[in-house]
Amino acid sequence: MKILRATDVTFVRDGVPLVAPFSLSLDAGAAAEIVQPSTRAASIAARLCAAIVKPSRGVIYVGEFETRLQPPQAKRLVGFVDAGGFEGDAHALRCEVAFRADVWNLDKAAAQSRATEILDALGDGPYARAIALALVAEVALVVLDQPQRRFVGRVRKLVPEAAIVHTLVGATAALSAPVPASAPAVR
Amino acid sequence: MNEFRATVAIVRRHIDRHFAIDWAMQFGIVAAIAFAFTQTFAHPLFPLAIASVLAAASAAERSHAESLRRLTFFAMPLYGRQLARAHAIAPSLLALAIPAGYAAGSIARTHEFPAALLATMFGAALVSTLVALSSIFRDGLRASLYVVLAAIVGVAVTLPFVLQADYGLALSAALAAIAAFFALRAFGETLARYDPLPLSP
Repeated sequence: MKILRATDVTFVRDGVPLVAPFSLSLDAGAAAEIVQPSTRAASIAARLCAAIVKPSRGVIYVGEFETRLQPPQAKRLVGFVDAGGFEGDAHALRCEVAFRADVWNLDKAAAQSRATEILDALGDGPYARAIALALVAEVALVVLDQPQRRFVGRVRKLVPEAAIVHTLVGATAALSAPVPASAPAVR
Repeated sequence: MNEFRATVAIVRRHIDRHFAIDWAMQFGIVAAIAFAFTQTFAHPLFPLAIASVLAAASAAERSHAESLRRLTFFAMPLYGRQLARAHAIAPSLLALAIPAGYAAGSIARTHEFPAALLATMFGAALVSTLVALSSIFRDGLRASLYVVLAAIVGVAVTLPFVLQADYGLALSAALAAIAAFFALRAFGETLARYDPLPLSP
């Protein structure tokens, strides 16, 4: 089953393209990376895949849900990890897990236990804490914004059945590349 | 998805120690203004304008804006309208400090404050707050214009009461309810359309 389908996606603000156009198709258990020319473009690409930002052109489906039309349903399937990670301390993390349990309607004790398990597997640190938060709910797609390479493999072990997409900064098509892109953005 | 549970969680996140301090400070400052000027501002338009302007400014306050723009809220599986309702509760409670403070300051000075004026002030403060919330997701001139609009709408809904029209209080309450409904809808639309972008490097 296709978990993520992105077709000729780009994001434009005030006529200025902010991400290099990309397309990708991802099955359950598969992984892909999106290469963008800057950290900002990479973050926007990650947010596009996580249904947090709406594409200006192109279309993204998470599962069967189009992110522009059904963002809540799409977000429910996504565990999103921001590039900055989670900077709070252990107490702030527990509060955040409880908050997420309420919003995602999860059992609080089970969510805390799951977060602890994930942190034990990943080691502590802002990015590991953000991953723990993202994975307290069961997700079909994990979006990692500019992770260190080691986290991709570790997340794969934690959620072997989920699709994983991560962004990174590198040489790629220019931001103004014509749509459709010549598929440089996805490997 | 349990919308009620999510709403309560978001409201609890907004109503913390800082919220209590803000509420008390707002109450105290407005009470002091009322105590000093309640006899100067005898016409009901003055307290209503004060309530509208302060509520609009308070709702649009920048640090408040930063907390609402946090990425956490936009990663949640909620529609814009659901998020709008949850986000609006804390600022609305905060806005109630303004009429309550004014009434307290006025009563301390003159030992009276008309209940009808207090009720109309509550309506004006709520409407101004709900309109001003949409300014949070705008920047620059557009944000400022929203705050001005919020203050104007807040005063406008009280005009039947101020002009002592027949059923003026009921008419003002009805206008406030209609304006609040549409303001909340507009806030939901604003949230649904907002794209939280990372800051420029």
